[in-house]
Amino acid sequence: MTDMILQAQQGSWSLFIGRFHPLLVHLPIGMLIIAFILEWMSRHRRLAFLAPSVLPVLIFGSLSAIASCIAGYLLSLTGGYDESALALHMWLGIAVAVISVLLCVLKRYTVFRKGWLPVSALMVLLLSAAGHFGGNLTHGEDYLTAAMPFGNAKKSSPSSTITNIEEAKVYEQLVKPILEQKCYGCHNEQKLKGGLRLDSLTHIRRGGEHGPVLKDSIPEASELYKRLILSDNDDRRMPPKGKPQLSPQQVEIIYWWIAQGASATATVKELHKSPRIQLVLESLQPSAGPGNNPFVPQMDAKAASAKDIAALEGTGVKVMPVAADNNYLMVNAVNAASFGNREAALLLPLKSQIVWLKLSGTKAGDSALAVIGKMPQLTRLQLENTAVTDAGLPALADCRQLKYLNLTGTRVTDKGLVTLQKNKALRELFIYKTGITAEAIGKMGKLMPDLKIDTGGYQMPTLVTDTTVYRKAKS
Amino acid sequence: MSEKLIHEANEQAARFFSRRHFLRDCIGGLGATALGTMLGGCNLFSRSGDGLPQSLNPLAPHAPQFPARAKNVIYLHMAGAPSQLEMFDYKPELQKLHNQLCPQSLLEGKKFAFIRGVPKMLGPQAEFKQHGQSGAWVSDHLPHFASLVDEVSFLKAVQTDQFNHGPAQLFMHTGSARLGRPSIGAWVTYGLGTENSNLPGFVVLTSGGKTPDAGKSVWGSGFLPSVYQGVQCRSKGDPVLFLTDPNGMDRDLRYQSIHAINEVNKQEYETFKDPEILSRISQYELAYKMQISVPGVMDIADEPEYIHQLYGTQPGKESFANNCLLARKLVEKGVRFVQLFDWGWDAHGTDEGLSIDYGLRNKCREIDRPMSALLLDLKQRGLLDETLVVWGGEFGRTPMQENRDGKEMPFMGRDHHVEAFTMWMAGGGIRKGFTWGETDEIGFGAVKGKVAVHDIHATMLQQLGFDHEKLTYHFQGRPFRLTDVGGHVINEIIS
Repeated sequence: MTDMILQAQQGSWSLFIGRFHPLLVHLPIGMLIIAFILEWMSRHRRLAFLAPSVLPVLIFGSLSAIASCIAGYLLSLTGGYDESALALHMWLGIAVAVISVLLCVLKRYTVFRKGWLPVSALMVLLLSAAGHFGGNLTHGEDYLTAAMPFGNAKKSSPSSTITNIEEAKVYEQLVKPILEQKCYGCHNEQKLKGGLRLDSLTHIRRGGEHGPVLKDSIPEASELYKRLILSDNDDRRMPPKGKPQLSPQQVEIIYWWIAQGASATATVKELHKSPRIQLVLESLQPSAGPGNNPFVPQMDAKAASAKDIAALEGTGVKVMPVAADNNYLMVNAVNAASFGNREAALLLPLKSQIVWLKLSGTKAGDSALAVIGKMPQLTRLQLENTAVTDAGLPALADCRQLKYLNLTGTRVTDKGLVTLQKNKALRELFIYKTGITAEAIGKMGKLMPDLKIDTGGYQMPTLVTDTTVYRKAKS
Repeated sequence: MSEKLIHEANEQAARFFSRRHFLRDCIGGLGATALGTMLGGCNLFSRSGDGLPQSLNPLAPHAPQFPARAKNVIYLHMAGAPSQLEMFDYKPELQKLHNQLCPQSLLEGKKFAFIRGVPKMLGPQAEFKQHGQSGAWVSDHLPHFASLVDEVSFLKAVQTDQFNHGPAQLFMHTGSARLGRPSIGAWVTYGLGTENSNLPGFVVLTSGGKTPDAGKSVWGSGFLPSVYQGVQCRSKGDPVLFLTDPNGMDRDLRYQSIHAINEVNKQEYETFKDPEILSRISQYELAYKMQISVPGVMDIADEPEYIHQLYGTQPGKESFANNCLLARKLVEKGVRFVQLFDWGWDAHGTDEGLSIDYGLRNKCREIDRPMSALLLDLKQRGLLDETLVVWGGEFGRTPMQENRDGKEMPFMGRDHHVEAFTMWMAGGGIRKGFTWGETDEIGFGAVKGKVAVHDIHATMLQQLGFDHEKLTYHFQGRPFRLTDVGGHVINEIIS
């Protein structure tokens, strides 16, 4: 690679012309295809007038094909490509040029008329193949397939499946995806710029034509890191100017990985972490994405009937889907203070859809809880300042998904609290202004270690500074 | 004379306007109209510019685009810009440079609102300690808040591009430094409607004796129908001006007259389909309902004594503390967006009240207890979970001592600073006990985790269930959005 850069610095004609190859190739592609289309269309009686235009287009096409071949050959001299893939592309390209010239001759001397269309079809086929393999050389073999929206497009890189950053494998899940994204393009099986492959740890360790790129535990002596932090204008900087660069966080990860011995198998928690890398790692901890709400089931529900919703709304309650295009419902009784046990019966037809239910400040009592207990998907239940008591709470045992329960300002006591241990999914419980004692909370804490119980009643200390007014001393 | 000329000209024009012209114009015009409809603006295939479907009641609650983590927002805006260097951004290096001349390299190519020439550095005027499990640095100006750092996410490297209060406040609240854009609260109300049909979806409370420099546009509705603008409520006197019935008019008569006016307005809407008529109808209806609902929710006198102690509230006064308690009450009643403005943070050092050494400490005392109480009170009621609390000014303050007009100031002061300042968010699905972003050794520039104003907006909208790129409103031929052409959700601070 340094050779190439050296050449580029010294300005060599062959390399200069060679670099026009990616530009030139598009001329024969366009023109030869047009020639084929014109040839085919002119077969139609009404479009016969197109026939004379085929030859000129063809001539320009073959001239540009020849020019592309020459430029391509010059470019290939700089090396860095997989030999066999390069040979395939080269010979296909030459075949296209030869066959297009042949076709020119046939047309110019009007011989072998019958063969014109099949020969030009063959030419287009060869052209497509040459173009495809050329693309693979520049962009990497899986450039096209990776973007396929269907079928077995390469499965997403494991980095996207990090669930707990501490458990992530440093090389497999952090380093490899970076190399894959930013380095593989030029350092892969087929395109070995500088004789270097980065697509597996073995190849990384083998190094390139200028020796090893990785010196374990010393990033400052490893080309794999050093090249990343050279100035933008340095020709040795990687990725080269104009290519997608590593983000500062990604550079930080590479540095850390090498410094920690470039292990193939270590996980994040096994390695020593500086505060700098800690920040980067924390930012990689995946957060719940927009569509991924812990309070909404993953699988959508069947749509509720509009009639049932309207009946419930008749009581002054607001019923809304939790999101557009989602059939789960949130129900809010903020404007329905008179909502009571009788109205609660109207919730029943919607039991499979309701996930968030807010009955705060209503007259709902224990028999309403009997209805609520039939909601299998309910995740959030707000019963602040309602008439519910210990007697009603056991009915909630069947709300298997219940994660949040607010009993603030109800008459619930220790007896009711204990019954909630059947709700295994429960994570947040609010019991401010209830009759529950500290002792019962302690017991519950042992039974359900994952449950956070907020007792409320917070006070802040009174400080002298709360009332100190700062003034300049009068002199 | 001129009348005659005009008449003559009109007649001449009419003479040249033949039947052929008429037909040609009609056909051409019709064709163009049809083409325009068929092309449907610039976006043939995307439906992103459609805005939201409008119903007859513009305030009817809507579902968000995806399930929300936050249902309400309380935005605490410290108008005038508090000094991050005395509150959250601990810079011991700056202390060493105290009273030394600012290095030229920091000043090159930079513009400041008031600093001229070469100012002196001003070391932090507060003691800092690390607090909580997260070890966040908070100064002794905020002793109560310091005990709650494990509930919040700090953004230490927020940047803006406006160094004057008016434009910067507009930018922070409408996403644009120029007038005419809707405020965040208006966007949110437009997107979600109001859950409590007896209260507005967007309420504004001010304290500090002054409204923000940018005026009421910071809670305006811009080009959105005016029904989405913030309703300013007062914590002293009548909560909403002109809401009580005038003398001699009873509630029944009020109802009859509003009913009659709305009937006329509905007919008017049928004819003209102007959304502003709908706004007017729903405002009349809302005002009528608010006559009953507002006095109740806006009255803090019936709160128990220990709550008053917690917040440090005194009923009947206009204060930040009272507004914090009101904010909790409003959120409890389903008000979507509560915007607090507290004025008096512009510590230039021009006088005692606006100084780093005196005024700022007093302002810190004024907000410390109430805002901490607000977090605790929301937490104990199980509301912090679904309420996003945002705190911040419109920009930060310089690590340099202000030297207005090249002269020394009578008090310690810092100038406006746009390159890095601190904000925090809590609740509503935000990570607890986390700090994102870092400034350099003296707190001048952002080093890591830079956050733009639009990023804050994008994050707020995301927590409310909106893709900020898809919450749009069609105006003047193109879809507009709060984040204009910017905005990245700050995923780092989302739990």
